[in-house]
Amino acid sequence: MLQGFIVISENLPYILGGIWVTLTVVVGALIMGLSLGLVLSVAQVYGSRVVRRTVGVYVWFFRGIPLLVLLFLFYFGILANLQIELSPFIVSIIVLGLISSAYQSQIIRGAILSLPEGQLKAARSIGMSDSKAIVFVILPQAIRLSIPGWTNEYTIILKDSAVTYALGVTEILARSRHVAERTYQHFWIYILAGCIFLLLTYVGTKLFQILEEKVRTPGYTQ
Amino acid sequence: MADQTPVLRIQNIKKSYGDNKVLKGVSLELNRGGIKVVIGPSGGGKSTLLHCINFLVGLDEGRIYLNGKEIIHNRKRELTAYRQKVGMIFQDFNLFDHLNALHNVLIGPVRVKKLPKSEARERAVAELERVGLRDHMTKYPAELSGGQKQRVSIARALAMDPEVMLLDEPTSALDPELIGEVHEVIRDLASGGMTMLLVTHEVGFASSLADEIFFMEDGKIVEQGPPQKILFNAECDRTREFCAKIGRLHNNSS
Ligand SMILES: Nc1ncnc2c1ncn2[C@@H]1O[C@H](COP(=O)(O)OP(=O)(O)O)[C@@H](O)[C@H]1O
Ligand SMILES: [Mg+2]
Repeated sequence: MLQGFIVISENLPYILGGIWVTLTVVVGALIMGLSLGLVLSVAQVYGSRVVRRTVGVYVWFFRGIPLLVLLFLFYFGILANLQIELSPFIVSIIVLGLISSAYQSQIIRGAILSLPEGQLKAARSIGMSDSKAIVFVILPQAIRLSIPGWTNEYTIILKDSAVTYALGVTEILARSRHVAERTYQHFWIYILAGCIFLLLTYVGTKLFQILEEKVRTPGYTQ
Repeated sequence: MADQTPVLRIQNIKKSYGDNKVLKGVSLELNRGGIKVVIGPSGGGKSTLLHCINFLVGLDEGRIYLNGKEIIHNRKRELTAYRQKVGMIFQDFNLFDHLNALHNVLIGPVRVKKLPKSEARERAVAELERVGLRDHMTKYPAELSGGQKQRVSIARALAMDPEVMLLDEPTSALDPELIGEVHEVIRDLASGGMTMLLVTHEVGFASSLADEIFFMEDGKIVEQGPPQKILFNAECDRTREFCAKIGRLHNNSS
């Protein structure tokens, strides 16, 4: 056990350095997922039949295939065939971002559909075009309602990001494994890795709660 | 009277939901400064009529003219320009829940009319003042009473410089003690010469304001005429029956 602590303290900076890699992947994927998810949700709620179908297929695709399969497909399959060179790090952000956009589009779509019909009618009644109504009236409200869903999405992406170690991204798990194989202190090292993930989950969830409180409309309880 | 063209003319509007024929050919005209009131039993199609006039509900048939010019509603620009000219007041207010009173009124002038911020703000403040809400501008809808909400929604419509206002039971969602403040605002609009089409069951209010009352039932205007005649001396049995009923309710509650 003493040996375990020695190994941990010697390798702590290296493993903790993985936090930044993990967080960059997670935050990058969440932001990409949000931007795409917004467009997809609006397309799915307000788009024509064809557009709605297309979004449906997109969501089905990215929610239905395991992350690892998608990572390999993009990195070794698609990008290699197109002879596009991207680092595993970038590919991970993109793939996680695409998956997250599928989930986030459904979170936002649910929020849009939960708004009273009168909001769109009122916006139209003062002469707003539908696109203005969506940008200035519908989405600001839908986004607020989506925050609890994002908290959940953050914790899922955070955990999923560990899988990117399979492409060689030097995030928390990759670094831990590296140390564990070298020192044979598997137990303590993976306990440490687990604790780091728990801590990140905790801090992230708290931050989302603060955000939710910050943007809450006064007097509005939901 | 220089201009005799009706501000708003609607001709033979029909609307069905599936097999349910909600509007069976409704026509009416609003002259400048005129105030027409629509009464009639629940489910008779009054709200649908008002929503159709603003194309918030698509019509199956019928034509709508603003100042003599027919509105082609699938030309987007024409439609949004028309809707600015036709203010709509909803039974349940439909304020933008994420914006405070000031921004509810401001959003139209800024985003639709594209007025400069400062000018739009002055305008919005003036409209809120007009409906007596100067001291409540920074409150959010959830912090306002029903009467205040409805007054904000009137200010929001007025900020677009409408030529006509459509009001769908503006006080029916309000507690009795809050009805007066909204009626007062509507009365001010009337004395300012606003053209209005008002759905209401407040008999006293309607008869003091309207120059004509329509009795609507089952998707049709059954009878129309001056308030005294429709409310107290209608020709049609159904109209008489209905007016007696709402008259009684009104007397009992006041
Ligand atoms: N969106 C809708 N879908 C289906 N039926 C509707 C819809 N809106 C109104 N209706 C029907 O149209 C009829 C008239 O409703 P409405 O215009 O609200 O009447 P009123 O305002 O006179 O009470 C009712 O039978 C109602 O059920
Ligand atoms: Mg109604």
